[in-house]
Amino acid sequence: MTLFIQQLFNGVALGGVYCLAAIGLTLVFGVLRIPNLAHGSLYMLGAYVTYFFLTTVGVPYVAAIGIAALILFVLGVLLERLVFHPLRNSPHTHHMIAAIGAMFFFQAVAQAIWGADFRRMETPISGSLRILGAEISAQRIVIIVTAVVVLSLLTWFIKRSIHGQTIEAIEQDRTGSALVGINPAMVSMLTLGLSALLVTIAAGLVSPINLLSPTMGDSLNLKVFAIIILGGLGSLPGAIVGSFALAIAETMTSTYISSAVGEAVAFIVLVAVLAIKPTGLFAKAVQR
Amino acid sequence: MTSIPRRASRPVLAAAVISTFALALGACGGGGGSGDSGGGDESVVIGYTGPLSGGGAAYGENVQTGLQMAVDDINKDGLEVDGKKVTIELKSLDDKYAPSTAASNAQRLADQDKAPVVVSPNAGAIKAIQQINDGRSKFLISAYTSDPAIVQADNPLTMMIPPNFESYAKPFTEQGMKHGGKKLALLGTQSEYGQQWTKAITDEWKKADGKIGADNSIDYATVSDFAGPVSKALSEKPDSIFVGGPSQPTALIMEEAKKQGFKGSFLVMDQAKLDEMATVTKLENLTNSVGVLPVKEYEDPGTKDFLKHFAEVAGEKKVATSETALNYQSIAIIAKAMEEAGTTSDPEKIRAAIPDALSKVDDKYKVNGFPTEISDEGHLVNPELEVTYLDKDEKYTKVPVEQVSDAK
Repeated sequence: MTLFIQQLFNGVALGGVYCLAAIGLTLVFGVLRIPNLAHGSLYMLGAYVTYFFLTTVGVPYVAAIGIAALILFVLGVLLERLVFHPLRNSPHTHHMIAAIGAMFFFQAVAQAIWGADFRRMETPISGSLRILGAEISAQRIVIIVTAVVVLSLLTWFIKRSIHGQTIEAIEQDRTGSALVGINPAMVSMLTLGLSALLVTIAAGLVSPINLLSPTMGDSLNLKVFAIIILGGLGSLPGAIVGSFALAIAETMTSTYISSAVGEAVAFIVLVAVLAIKPTGLFAKAVQR
Repeated sequence: MTSIPRRASRPVLAAAVISTFALALGACGGGGGSGDSGGGDESVVIGYTGPLSGGGAAYGENVQTGLQMAVDDINKDGLEVDGKKVTIELKSLDDKYAPSTAASNAQRLADQDKAPVVVSPNAGAIKAIQQINDGRSKFLISAYTSDPAIVQADNPLTMMIPPNFESYAKPFTEQGMKHGGKKLALLGTQSEYGQQWTKAITDEWKKADGKIGADNSIDYATVSDFAGPVSKALSEKPDSIFVGGPSQPTALIMEEAKKQGFKGSFLVMDQAKLDEMATVTKLENLTNSVGVLPVKEYEDPGTKDFLKHFAEVAGEKKVATSETALNYQSIAIIAKAMEEAGTTSDPEKIRAAIPDALSKVDDKYKVNGFPTEISDEGHLVNPELEVTYLDKDEKYTKVPVEQVSDAK
């Protein structure tokens, strides 16, 4: 039982990280209609920039994540301007090729600046809590709490604020939104910036319990794609439910069946969902 | 009317750009080649194909550092082959850990650069290169892998550098049981090499009447949180745990196990190096473990200078590992063998000269358990191989290793 509770907390913490990463990706898909294959490398860059401010510059942990998130926001905007915007009228394959190109570019930049070695990010948050016999490290609790707070803020932003509402409007109907005076180009920039910001928070939170390397985004990339397809491309609730479902499924299968199955479970679930409900769990009305 | 020339100008411009690049590249190639025509000096290329980008990049760079340090030192000393002064040049190509790319890189190095020796640090790649190094083009493979399948392949032009990993299973088991107990949990890595290790340890542990828990191997490169797998392994209440993959993730796993209350011993696979692991966690989190001996614990005549030189090249923060040190030694052996054989271009003669060369290599190149002989199959052997036990006081104790035969 203790093992179960232990793993449940581990699963929820992992779900929080997946969630912050997946939401950005699904927003970008909703607004720009492109699968941003460079998302994992934005996560990796977010981690390195946080590491840089924390270790090299020496600002406090939370501030380091904040500064990194802002820098990545700008980078996301630039990525939209320089890479995706010029391709807006070309076939979809061009976006994917451009995104893969961006991914390799970011990896090469990280390797050139920080080297190929694994790096460890130290965090001031230490210690652990005993809950129902299970030992939960403070860092994991911080991850869970932050994920909840950030998600609430994001929901408020999208549902209540003008800028956020434009994102949802564009997702629903690009032409219609343009007709009522929303600038799709601005919203596209905002969305990619936001997705980079969110994924940086995820990276900053998870880095202390993991290691930094230029390829650290690769496995996350695969999983968040599975999550947003599972949840329904472009759907926010889908991404949230999908993240936690997948993370818990992953930890539980690793615990009670085997680690190999745990790594594969994301894709087993994905195949099952695609076979039964090809539009994903929370399908959105298809945009024309 | 202006639209026609504008349309035409694009392909023309593109062609111009491409041809400029082509010319620039050609010029570079020519520049490199002209080096051996000047002043009677000769130059010889030693090829290296390894992972220089992607997930294995850190490993590939460690190997490359060792090779480059050796090449620089040998050139500084001045190498003379058959009465002529020879400069060695290291040419590195990235294979991203893919055997097929490694084989085509090796072919390119042998054909274009006339490299008599190609270094590769990956068993799969070496097996692929062994298909092509003894046919139309001939070159010696300087093989950095502890997988004995390399020498079992009966390839006359292969030199295997590190010890056979199977030799470690016995001392690891003895030390692990002595400082832990009879029950072992398996938490190795899921790479091909990791699985071979898991099997070797399992066999040896069973032979010593130990009990083995479920195989909890995980992919060290993709698992995002080590707490889960560690909790699972500890739920079986083991006395010892087998861990090991790249140093840094291995260190995190051991740290997590101690955090969750594990008190027993660790068996650390040779891919992970205890001193390199200490760069990401405190050494106290790594104690009560048996692993390979860190380079700095060797007492070879050249070790101290090598470490000093390494710190200058790679920075104080980096730890010199056997990947760097053993490849450093092996280039010195090859250079000496060229001198003995009197040729830089005949790999068969170079290979034949290695047994004589071993005893003549300058002391300063002996840094990490220098080999004294080479087996007929091409395996360099250091008869005084040792592993180490890191005790609770953070001290390394050396443990001699009885080496197993390379035969199947």
